[in-house]
Amino acid sequence: MAENLRELWRFRDLLRQLVRRELKVRYKNSVLGFFWSIAPPLLQVLVYTFFINALGARAGSGGAYMLCAIIPWTFITTATLDSSQSLLINFPIIKKVYLPREVIPLAIVISNFIHLMMGWTVFFVFYLIIMPMVPGKGGGIPLTTSMLWFPVITFVTVMFVTGTALWAAALNVFYDDVKFILQTSFNLLLLLLPVFYPSDVIYYGKHVRAHPWIYTLYMLNPPAAIMEAYRKTLLQPIQRGSYGLGMKSDPLYMNWPTFAGASVICFLICWSGYTYFNYRKWQFVERP
Amino acid sequence: MSSGHSYAPTRLCVSLKWQIMNSQQTNPANYAIYVEKLVKRFILMHRGGSLKRELLGVVSKLRKPVNREEFTALNEISFTVPHGETVAVIGRNGSGKSTLLGILARVYRPTSGTAQLFNPQGQAARIAPLLALDAGFHPDLTGLENIEFYGSVLGMSMAHIHERARAIVEFAELEQKIDTQLRGWNDGAKLRLGFSIAINTDPDILLVDEVLAVGDEAFQNKCYRLIAELQERGKTILFVSHDLAVVERVASRIIWMNKGVIHMDGDVNTVMAAYRSASQNSPTDTDNSA
Repeated sequence: MAENLRELWRFRDLLRQLVRRELKVRYKNSVLGFFWSIAPPLLQVLVYTFFINALGARAGSGGAYMLCAIIPWTFITTATLDSSQSLLINFPIIKKVYLPREVIPLAIVISNFIHLMMGWTVFFVFYLIIMPMVPGKGGGIPLTTSMLWFPVITFVTVMFVTGTALWAAALNVFYDDVKFILQTSFNLLLLLLPVFYPSDVIYYGKHVRAHPWIYTLYMLNPPAAIMEAYRKTLLQPIQRGSYGLGMKSDPLYMNWPTFAGASVICFLICWSGYTYFNYRKWQFVERP
Repeated sequence: MSSGHSYAPTRLCVSLKWQIMNSQQTNPANYAIYVEKLVKRFILMHRGGSLKRELLGVVSKLRKPVNREEFTALNEISFTVPHGETVAVIGRNGSGKSTLLGILARVYRPTSGTAQLFNPQGQAARIAPLLALDAGFHPDLTGLENIEFYGSVLGMSMAHIHERARAIVEFAELEQKIDTQLRGWNDGAKLRLGFSIAINTDPDILLVDEVLAVGDEAFQNKCYRLIAELQERGKTILFVSHDLAVVERVASRIIWMNKGVIHMDGDVNTVMAAYRSASQNSPTDTDNSA
């Protein structure tokens, strides 16, 4: 493993070039160019904010609750799906030239990470600066010290995505099914994960009240842990009676031990993905 | 007891000297290319693998290797190339030439045996693989952007690439075109650029698959002049070619491969004569119908 990491370091210029190529090529022939990198989060922020408000929900920052899940979820899904295809797209190169093959999916992760950070930048500018200036409703979010956890949660997210990206990339070379499995499960997970509702709703569910360990298990699942961690450190606790939370239920606070458990799982996914990729990487070109 | 100690040092000296003499011949680092008992087997799947088939196989324990077949592309080949030699590898399709080149370029891992490449100082050599010249290019990027990208694919540092960019463009005769997207280029221009980048990486060893010279006749002559210059500078070249005229023009030694083994290895005239008579007398004899 140490030797593989050293070799990766030796090829860091190539990694940088690959990331640059990813970013450049994506919008090369479009009229608006790089604007498309910030357009999706910008439009998401606007749509969710005004959609939720138009429906008459009480909290002005309703869109913020969804975006805290949607921004990392977009990163997780696009980075994993893109890297599952990356080795096949770059097959002409890896068939002819020596290079540490992990640079190809890693470049995808890094370029998507840059898009993630642009999404968060739009988020923070909108809710910390622009919305508080809008007179009346006060749809912004207050600056809190718990926001200092942001880099930690983002690091866990990147670790998780690196793992899934390496797994997806290596497996997809041998099994074309991987792409379809990923697409289908991402669609299902969008409903199962706390994206459009807070995890509190799951917690106060009838069956989960009877067996609280189900909730712990649910929150050990990395995407759910990441989404809820962003929400609970960046935003104020949700109010009773909003987002499907009952009038008698108290909103939950950040559960750090469970998040630590999820972080360990993320690390294991990352480590196993890297190990599996390295174990397989010399068989890519001999794919039957 | 004391007498036993008295002659021990001399014996040690003798054996040390013998070891040094011996290592001169067998130390791989004294050669540019050192290949010993190299074996490469590929697994051929007669029907494409899929996750469903594998899972079904695991479940029903029917995972017999019915659809798997091993194919030995290289069967225990050994040879060495001293520094500064130009070697041509010839042989019919499927004789293992390209596999050998792929292993030397570190694209494939050998099944067993060793293949090592060294520079004259005995360190790991810088390799310039001229295998598929336009493989690393992206049509949406400009020529200059592609130089940066393909240069780093070949292991050049950014500083080195920028230092060489002018020379690369000049050699490839691209001038103003270099600032335009590759999608508008003709194939010849792309090949010239690929050749020019690969040759400008300051390689110790050149590995060439059929693309010793690209472009029109004038440019090809320029390629040959450059090859001759590299030979004079003591670079090692190993190339695979079906073009016997090129082989005679450039190489000083030929390795003739057939069905995964070295059939003949020697100077150009000897091997060429044998190869010509073999392919004239029985053209299907060396066919790999297996």
